[in-house]
This record gives sequence, structure tokens and C-alpha cells, in this order.
Amino acid sequence: MAHQAHAYHMVDPSPWPLTGAVAALLVTSGTAIWFHFNSTILMTLGTMLLLLTMYQWWRDIIREGTFQGHHTPPVQKGLRYGMILFITSEVFFFLGFFWAFYHSSLAPTPDLGGCWPPAGITTLDPFEVPLLNTAVLLASGVTVTWAHHSIMEGDRKPAIQSLALTILLGFYFTFLQGLEYFEAPFTIADGVYGSTFFVATGFHGLHVIIGSTFLAVCLLRQIQYHFTSEHHFGFEAAAWYWHFVDVVWLFLYISIYWWGS
Amino acid sequence: MAARLLLRGALRAATTCRAAPVPALTRGMAAGGIPTDEEQATGMERIIMKAMQEGSDPYSMMKPKEYAGSKADPHLVPSITNKRIVGCVCEEDNTAVVWFWLHQGEPQRCPSCGSHYQLVAHELPH
Repeated sequence: MAHQAHAYHMVDPSPWPLTGAVAALLVTSGTAIWFHFNSTILMTLGTMLLLLTMYQWWRDIIREGTFQGHHTPPVQKGLRYGMILFITSEVFFFLGFFWAFYHSSLAPTPDLGGCWPPAGITTLDPFEVPLLNTAVLLASGVTVTWAHHSIMEGDRKPAIQSLALTILLGFYFTFLQGLEYFEAPFTIADGVYGSTFFVATGFHGLHVIIGSTFLAVCLLRQIQYHFTSEHHFGFEAAAWYWHFVDVVWLFLYISIYWWGS
Repeated sequence: MAARLLLRGALRAATTCRAAPVPALTRGMAAGGIPTDEEQATGMERIIMKAMQEGSDPYSMMKPKEYAGSKADPHLVPSITNKRIVGCVCEEDNTAVVWFWLHQGEPQRCPSCGSHYQLVAHELPH
């Protein structure tokens, strides 16, 4: 087993980076084919391959860490750095869309009527569903922290309950946003207002779905006794991601829903 | 009414805590339901956990110990074989590292600054 003289993890050869790269190629080129030649086969194939890759790669990481014990303190430290750097890159991703929003809204052009919101746009009332959504996400931040403390203190039942509640709150947010999208008096095609609104909130919603999925995987793992009270980095990574999603929403709410209305 | 109930409950909680202190080390699967590393850690993680509990560092995770480098207090260099490469940064901030093989047996001296180095056997917990 351990013929190494260091505490790091030299990973066994794996096909998933290659299948992931092929999937990325198929998804992107498949989307272009769909746009121009009305065929979804390549894009669908790529998406399926991507999902299979994610499932198998992360399953292998769980096997290596939880079942084989390769995640020693230095390895865990590296994983922490990795997650922080990834979240930082996502922050920059959203920064771009906020830049676009403020670029258009701080100096509205004549074709918008020289005002923000642009002439003819009926904005959503920030004190209706958007405020509820804010409360939902903030509450989910509390429940995920509750879950973390339960895990650290070795309390299985509250850990499972609070983690499940966090996921339910996430679903509730997604459901409410879905209703808002359906009922909104403007669309993505309604000038720069529609573009900035739906691209920024749309990518945020996608990240809520991703975060909820990550938390759901953690719930399954917690039920199956993967986490110990000292070592549960998968859960911590999910919680960090979830807090990030919450903070992005707060910025969206303040900038687009409230100031921009 | 509520205040009296609250006070009575608080008093009962305080007395029970004093009467039956919970021993921290038995908080495992039997108690809360979430295992501890002591119960569940495996593989390399477990080996390192055990070593750290004993105070040893078999995989050189910590900074190496500092020695004077003199004849009486040579740098002790752990090795899993009978020789190891040493890189001597003779003075702080030197950019040219002096590399040499350190062999088992008599202490050797850095060809540049003369610091003493001694190879010592190092066992890996397989």
C-alpha cells in the first residue's frame, strides 16, 4: 500500500480527464451545430458524456479519499486551495455580468430613453417575490451552518435534517425564480435590460441548481456515514459554494432588483 | 408564569450537567451517530493520524529540525536508503544551492561552507 516516503497522493491513471475533454468538445461544437444545422445529436451526446464523466470522476475521488484514506492533511489542504481558487474564478465570472449591468445602467443611452429602467420596461417589485427569495437563501445559509456544526459535534440526526432543509430551501428558491421568470412582464429580448437581467439571474439560478446538487450528494454521503466529525471536506466545499451563491444573490438583489428598479 | 417555568428548567439543566458529566472521548457512533477519525480513518490518513498522535513525523510533513551544523551537533538527515541528496544553502538568501550525495557512515561536510551532515536511518510505517 504505502511505499511512498511522502504524504501526498499520486493518483492512478484515469480516463475521466480525457472523456471530460471530449465531452466539452462535443457540447460546444454540438451547440454550434444545433444553432446552424438544426441537429441536437452531438450536443446531447456531449452532455451525456459530461454527466457520466462527472459522476465517475467524483465517485473515484470519494473512493480514494473516504474508502482508501489517501486524503491526508497535505492532500486536504490542496483540495481546500483548489475549491477556493475555483470559487474565486466564479466570482470573476459574475463580476463580468455585473460590469455589463452597471455599464448599461449607470449611463443609459438615448435609445433606452436616457433613463434606467429603460422606457417601457415594467420592473419586478423588489419587495415581493425577490425579497422572499432573499429570505429563503439567507435562511438556507443558516441551516447549512447548523448542519456543519451538527457534523462537527457528531450529531447525526440534526445533521441530516438541517442539510435536507437547506436543500429544500434551495429548491424553493429555484421554484420561486421559475415562477418569476414565467410571469415576468419582460423577456431576454427586451433590450439591454432584458439581456443583463436574464443572463445575470439566469447564471445565478444555474449555480443554485449546481449548489443544491452538490449539497444533495453530501446528504447522501452523510446518510451513508462517509463523513467523520473531524474530516468532512466534501461537505465544507459544498457549504462554501452555497455561501458564495447566497452572496452573489445579495449583490444581484441590491444591484438589479432594488437599485435597478 | 413562563419566567418561573424557564427558571425551573434552567435550574434542572444546570444540576443535571453537574451531576453527570459526559466523557468527551466516548462520543462516537454509539453516542451521536457520526463516526470520528479514530473510528473510521483508514489507509495513509490513518497512518499519519497515528504517527501525529505519537509525535512522530515519518513522512516529513513538518519543517526539518534545526541543527547547528557543527561537528558536535551535525545536521541529522533521515533517509530510507543508504544515501540521500543534500542541498546546502550555506548562507541565508544564497541563490546557489550546493548539492551533494550524503552517504551512510561518517558525517560529511558541505564542500562550500563546511557544515556537518550525518545520514540517519528512517523507517516508514508501511
